[in-house]
Amino acid sequence: MSEQVAEGKAAVKIKEDSCSRCIICISLCPFDALSKDVENDKTILEIEKCQVCGLCYSACPSHVIDTLHYDLNSLTKYLQKAKKHYASDTLVVMCKGSAPDLAGIEKLFGVTKFIPLTVPCVGRIPEDVFLKAITMGIKKIYVLACDEDYCRYDSGSPVEGRRIMALNLMLAQLGYGKEAIVLKHSSLKVKVNQELCIGCGNCVFYCPWEAPSLVTPGAVKVDMDKCHGCGLCVSMCPAFALDLDNWEKDRISLLISQLAAEMAPPKVLVFCCQWAVFPALDEKPKNNIRYVYLPCAGRVDTNHIVEAFGKGVDGVLIAACSEDDCKLEGAGGKIQRPVAALQERLKQAGYGDRLSFCTVSPRYPEVFTRELAQFSKQIAAIGKEVPA
Amino acid sequence: MIVTTQKPLDELLDFISPYSNVMVVGCDGCTQPPRGIREAQTLAQLLQLGGKLRKKEFEFRVNTLVKQCDSHLTSVALRDMLDGGVDAVLSLACGLGPQTIARLYPDVPIFPAQNTIFMGAEEREAGTIEERCAACGECVLGLTGGICPISRCAKSLLNGPCGGSQNGKCEVDPDKECAWALIIERLDRLGRLSDLEAIQPPKNYNTVLRPGKLSP
Repeated sequence: MSEQVAEGKAAVKIKEDSCSRCIICISLCPFDALSKDVENDKTILEIEKCQVCGLCYSACPSHVIDTLHYDLNSLTKYLQKAKKHYASDTLVVMCKGSAPDLAGIEKLFGVTKFIPLTVPCVGRIPEDVFLKAITMGIKKIYVLACDEDYCRYDSGSPVEGRRIMALNLMLAQLGYGKEAIVLKHSSLKVKVNQELCIGCGNCVFYCPWEAPSLVTPGAVKVDMDKCHGCGLCVSMCPAFALDLDNWEKDRISLLISQLAAEMAPPKVLVFCCQWAVFPALDEKPKNNIRYVYLPCAGRVDTNHIVEAFGKGVDGVLIAACSEDDCKLEGAGGKIQRPVAALQERLKQAGYGDRLSFCTVSPRYPEVFTRELAQFSKQIAAIGKEVPA
Repeated sequence: MIVTTQKPLDELLDFISPYSNVMVVGCDGCTQPPRGIREAQTLAQLLQLGGKLRKKEFEFRVNTLVKQCDSHLTSVALRDMLDGGVDAVLSLACGLGPQTIARLYPDVPIFPAQNTIFMGAEEREAGTIEERCAACGECVLGLTGGICPISRCAKSLLNGPCGGSQNGKCEVDPDKECAWALIIERLDRLGRLSDLEAIQPPKNYNTVLRPGKLSP
């Protein structure tokens, strides 16, 4: 990715002229991407360090930080549309890092009909969004944030927690009740089926946090306090003894079937790390392209890829974070070896060049757009050799 | 661990093409890399994909066994798995699996999905599995500081190193370490270098006359 292409197209920008130099953004940025240029009295954004969490955007009192993803404008528009679409006055805001499926939400908050809003980090939601929602007639707001120690952006969840506390106090004074915004925390965890464990030790080796341990052969144990829910161990388990709670293997398989059936050829399925690609809220993908978002590229499962081809998908693209950007201690990059091995096997099966791997960042959304366009072209050129 | 590599899909498709109902069976025993249920499922799916291009459709049954080389465990488990009939079995175990199954079920065609290459130790960080034991029948590790010259020296020398040891590398393959250079380094560290003054007599290969057999 050359600087030239990147310039002017980064996902976060500061409008220097209107900046009040309050340094709130600098104090909040978990990645030291923002700093003060004392000499020129300027706030500087080093975009290469930026992980697009949006904390600076949601905190800036002067509205001088622009973000391409989930800004106030697009969130408001989404809420207006979604309110009609879901015919509900209950809003559930979820961080991608902790969000279960919609049935899980029902259980967690005891709501059946609601407007879902899933964002990469709740920390990027400014107070204005909640206030607009209430103005729009939304009666109840639930927020599901990551457990604070497991926030992919370090301080996104704690910052939003404090913000919601302050907002609730204010809303209570205005007469909106004691807890206008209900905040809950959760985090992704692995679950173990010890009966299936064959004691190979793959999980113990691959886990970046040393959460699994294997003392007795074939009886893996996982220290859930250490587990960050990346899912790498699940992808590496040869015995299907592990799975991610609320992100089960079978659920992903079902999703692949649904997507494969609704796509038009040449069918391109993208397995995305949800921290590498941020979809637009109202995004309608081309009719031959569909996405499977995963908690980390580490959960890209070679079995799911082969399954997709078996269901008539013509090409599979994997979009992962670079090693520097990985939110889960490099778990995403570890998938490259099994993917390369599968590429070789697919070639043997007569499906060469139909599986590709790229690293992208929401920092430069156009890089992903370009990678996808290029891959789609490649798949279209190979043609429909795959019999349905 | 018994180390295996996957056979090319074309070879496997040639094996199973005359059949329709094929059971792909993994092994949860010591094969490395693991060849359990995940691998069996992936293989069945890949063979289905490859079959489609050959205009051949298979009915796969996918299973895994605790250790295919255990005749009793395998016999008991396969009894149920083969119920209803399969035309052929494709085994992901090392060479022992297909042989056990062939003996237990003489009427079912069985094919190996793997090539068995050696007994190896897993070097996790490097992502490699390396040969460390040649099953020579008379272990010399006690004399060589825990480094096996039979499996790790290209010439399996008992009194090394040979003249081809160059800067700790082997003349046969300069990418490989000279096992005897390692042995000397290790014995030196242990203060046991003088152990090497004793000349080892030629190795007695009568201990591993094939086929080996262990009786109670």
